[in-house]
Amino acid sequence: MAVCIAVIAKENYPLYIRSIPTENELKFHYMVHTSLDVVDEKISALGKALVDQRELYLGLLYPTEDHKVYGYVTNSKVKFVMVVDSSNTALRDNEIRSMFRKLHNSYTDVMCNPFYNPGDRIHSRAFDSTVTSMMTQVC
Amino acid sequence: MSVPDYMQCAEDHQTLLVVVQPVGIVSEENFFRIYKRISSVSQISVRDSQRVLYIRYRHHYPPDNNEWGDFQTHRKVVGLITITDCLAAQDWPQTFEKFHVQKEIYGSTLYDSRLFVFGLRGEVAEQPRTDVAFYPDYEDCGTVEKRVEDFIESLFIVLESKRLDRATDKSGDKIPLLCVPFEKKDFVGLDTDSSMLLGVKRHYKKRCQGRMRKHVGDLCLQAGMLHDSLVHYHMSVELLRSVNDFLWLGAALEGLCSASVISHYPGGTGGKTGGRRLQGGPLPAEAANRHRPGAQEVLIDPGALTTNGINADTSAEIGRAKNCLSPEDIIDKYKEAISYYSKYKNAGVIELEACVKAVRVLAIQKRSMEASEFLQNAVYINLRQLSEEEKIQRYSILSELYELIGFRRKSAFFKRVAAMQCVAPSIAEPGWRACYKLLLETLPGYSLSLDPKDFSKGTHRGWAAVQLRLLHELVYASRRMGNPALSVRHLSFLLQTMLDFLSDQEKKDVTQSLENYTSKCPGTMEPLTLPDGLTLPPVPFTKLPIVSCSVRMSSEARGAGAVLADRGFSVSRLDFQWVQGDVCEVQLMVYNPMPFELRVENMGLLTSGVDFESLPAALSLPAESGLYPVTLVGVPQTTGTITISGYHTTVFGVCSDCLLDSLPGVKTSGSTVEVIPALPRLQISTSLPRSAHSLQPACGGDETSTNVTVQLYNGETQRLAIKLENIGMQPLETLEVTSKVLTTKDGISISGFPLSSPFRQVVRPRADSKPVHAPESSKTGDFSHVKTLEAILNFKYSGGPGHVEGYYRSISLGLHVEVEPSVFLTRVSTLPATSTRQCHLLLDVFNSTEHELTVSARHNGELILHASECQRMAIQVDKFNFESLPESPGEKGQFANPRQLEEERQEARGLEINSKLDIRWTILSLKRHGEASVEGLRSQLVLEHLQLAPLQWDVLVDGQPCDREAATACSVGDPVRLEVRLTNRSPHSVGPFALTVVPYQDHQNGVHNYNLCDLVSFVGSSTFHLEAVQPSGQSACLGALLFLYSGDFFLHIRFHEDSASKELPPSWFCLPSVHLSALEARA
Repeated sequence: MAVCIAVIAKENYPLYIRSIPTENELKFHYMVHTSLDVVDEKISALGKALVDQRELYLGLLYPTEDHKVYGYVTNSKVKFVMVVDSSNTALRDNEIRSMFRKLHNSYTDVMCNPFYNPGDRIHSRAFDSTVTSMMTQVC
Repeated sequence: MSVPDYMQCAEDHQTLLVVVQPVGIVSEENFFRIYKRISSVSQISVRDSQRVLYIRYRHHYPPDNNEWGDFQTHRKVVGLITITDCLAAQDWPQTFEKFHVQKEIYGSTLYDSRLFVFGLRGEVAEQPRTDVAFYPDYEDCGTVEKRVEDFIESLFIVLESKRLDRATDKSGDKIPLLCVPFEKKDFVGLDTDSSMLLGVKRHYKKRCQGRMRKHVGDLCLQAGMLHDSLVHYHMSVELLRSVNDFLWLGAALEGLCSASVISHYPGGTGGKTGGRRLQGGPLPAEAANRHRPGAQEVLIDPGALTTNGINADTSAEIGRAKNCLSPEDIIDKYKEAISYYSKYKNAGVIELEACVKAVRVLAIQKRSMEASEFLQNAVYINLRQLSEEEKIQRYSILSELYELIGFRRKSAFFKRVAAMQCVAPSIAEPGWRACYKLLLETLPGYSLSLDPKDFSKGTHRGWAAVQLRLLHELVYASRRMGNPALSVRHLSFLLQTMLDFLSDQEKKDVTQSLENYTSKCPGTMEPLTLPDGLTLPPVPFTKLPIVSCSVRMSSEARGAGAVLADRGFSVSRLDFQWVQGDVCEVQLMVYNPMPFELRVENMGLLTSGVDFESLPAALSLPAESGLYPVTLVGVPQTTGTITISGYHTTVFGVCSDCLLDSLPGVKTSGSTVEVIPALPRLQISTSLPRSAHSLQPACGGDETSTNVTVQLYNGETQRLAIKLENIGMQPLETLEVTSKVLTTKDGISISGFPLSSPFRQVVRPRADSKPVHAPESSKTGDFSHVKTLEAILNFKYSGGPGHVEGYYRSISLGLHVEVEPSVFLTRVSTLPATSTRQCHLLLDVFNSTEHELTVSARHNGELILHASECQRMAIQVDKFNFESLPESPGEKGQFANPRQLEEERQEARGLEINSKLDIRWTILSLKRHGEASVEGLRSQLVLEHLQLAPLQWDVLVDGQPCDREAATACSVGDPVRLEVRLTNRSPHSVGPFALTVVPYQDHQNGVHNYNLCDLVSFVGSSTFHLEAVQPSGQSACLGALLFLYSGDFFLHIRFHEDSASKELPPSWFCLPSVHLSALEARA
């Protein structure tokens, strides 16, 4: 169960960010924002690898006391960042991976919408519900 | 040990720690002056060798850190320099005593110490002492550096002797166990000689050896023997690993790392101290040599060294490169060392510092990811309860280190935490200045600049939530700092750049607090300069209100004629002029993005080039208003080219100068308008009420300032008085009136329009007004519906200085006439009258109005027509002699086209006919009257009948012309003279003609009696001959008649068939019939 899910544009500004309402939203903004340093670093390291061999999943970006931050980057350099509760030990790498894939699929659907301007904030009900399902579903 | 040194780097392991402290009262300024000079001696080349000593100076060093000096010798204070003021000789002993007390603090570890005395002169100062240097004052102390160098050399001698001492310890000798402070109690009372089991004893011995080797490694490193130290560290690692002495194993590994780092990175990892090796003459080249691949690949086999003795020959050129760790290994070993440190709660500071050192190395290696892991680890190292100041320091350092590895966001995050720590509620005196300064430093990490220009390009994209938070914190910090101008600037910036991200409630809150601030300190357009040199550019509120792209400029046009145009700002130089001294206006379309009413005050134009008196406006825009026009006005005071670069406003107490080039909605950077010299100004008023009805917009772009609408019946005449009043300050010198009828598809026209001729007249300002009559009437050829027609009267005028320059103004009056049908002449025919000079005109008159009307013609009675009634009306009219019409003056030759000429003539004829007929109608009930025209019905046939023949025949009896019903009287028996006269008005010569006079009697019953030979006789011939007549010539022939009896006679004058020209129309040969009445002569 994720506590915060964010989509970050290629230029590193947020396209979408949602967190569980029970906690201070700003905290997650800071968390996701600072995770971008790691994402950038990982991407620049990945940049040397061949494009088709590139793994989109970036793995654990960094742990904090209460949370773990995971990253995922699409080929168009759009980043997905997911924050999960570190107490949730049931969540393994594979689950995180599949959640990112699901998120990626939903994001692709958003991009297919001819009325969506790439680079704008995402206001999509379908995407919202995907995110909601990931934030509530207990894996 | 509890105080971490966050500035540590791997190179510090090779330094000797020297503490420089004041004794007694020494002013801070003087102390640091000397301290600076002392610290400049940071490296010394040892005489007769290539070794270099590095010195680390501290003016403050916690003694409990010193206790870890055996663990890592660079933590040991080996030198002490004290600085003191001593002005009198009698104070000297006391001062010297103090120096000794000071020495005691670090006494156990000091190799040597020095006392620098300032101010003392005389005897005491004369005595040469090695441990004390006397200087008369702080200026005159040129040998300080020299003394320090000497001091360091003495330190070196001690160091070298200690190193050699330890290194040559024989295995048989008892090696003492080196301990860190917290270990000491563990070993208290341990009998190392007898009571231990053999295994324990061997274990203990190895531990002692391992620790000692590590210590020797440290000493070698400090003594500039890098490669010896590597060997010692390697061996120490082997020894300590075998006995699981983790803390010291960690230290040995770290020593290995430090030595390798020093070897690999001669530039240094510590940033500030970076490059210090480069000062040392041949060293850089040597250093580069050292880790050149392939150089000295011989590996020293640690096993080849005796385990209980240390080969003194390790300085030989063996094993250099291989003993040195590879860059990857350095990190691995650091990791290992740190993992060992972490086993000991008391070694927290050591672990923390090791992390910091590793991060610096990784930063050099550009391995940010691993560096961040080390930092992450460092974050979690829990030292004891830190003081607030230490917390700030810790967060700042973390921020710096993150910056070092390129994690600018993380760096900003920690800097912000540090800033918040500065003003934590637990702090008695919050450091708002420090907080503010730190917050400013976080701006780049959050991709924020404080220049609003960076946000003017398109929509803002960024981390709005965190940026907003930061801006709020800046506002708050600057307010608490007691700098309201700064708060206003930051808050303005927040409002301007983050507007799209604020909720309605936030917008309200932000503006509310902005108004609170500005009530004390209004926002200006001045850049604010902070004490540290940062300049905050002004923040114009270009979004409050938002100006859309449609900007309209004009001279003030209302009521007065103006040189004006309606153009957008897309044309940079506008093709109209402003007039000096006149109110000019620029219209902006604005809207209010706020969810509440926006009060904009002091809104005016920003101009340059011409003195411009701006007349600021205040406006109040409703919440979320749509586009709203705002007119900014001003008066140019001089002439020239004025550039309109923007506008200024005051919103929420903040003055803004908004330049057009910074507005996203406006494309160009301003407009220029020519300001011309002053001109008079006319105001137009008319006798008829104005109408809101404006003329068809498609008519040529002429804008009419005044419009008049009038409803008329066809043929009605309306008088319109136009009053022009000069309301300007300049005299009116010329006035030119032109008119233009706008083409209408109905083909109707206004008669009496255009005005007869253009005229010029001087009108003094406000002196008099000049009525101009523009009579008009209109006619239509159709009689079904209302027609409209439109015309424009243009007044072009000038005067004053503008006239001299050749400028003029124009004002126009639009006329809009709605024409309703009145009477129609549906058919026109003619009947010949008795006289050849006259004829009867039959008109079918139709009343198309809904009212009863009367129609009258000249000399005729009135005819009453009911609504929609048609009646015939007969009018006897004199025939027209169209040839005699005067040609229109001045138009001869202008119309070369014969068709136009013909039309002109036709029209003239029509007018002639109309004026002769003078058919008028009157609607009594409405008291309206007008004229009806036959103009539209001028058929060729009718015209021919109405026209006088060009050959004019006159018959005269006894010299009396007879062309009427009445008979001419003559007496029986007397000859009656008969004259036939021909006047030729045609352009050709006519004739000759032969005429026969035939008398007859009309019996009034349809019988004409021509057999009158008994009653009438001719004197002479009854046939007349007329000679050919030239154009405009006259000819006459004479005869005589003799009536034999009385009676009524008629004379029929007939042309001989052969003599009448066939090519001339028969109507030309229409002679009057002559009626004679012969009476008995009275005797």
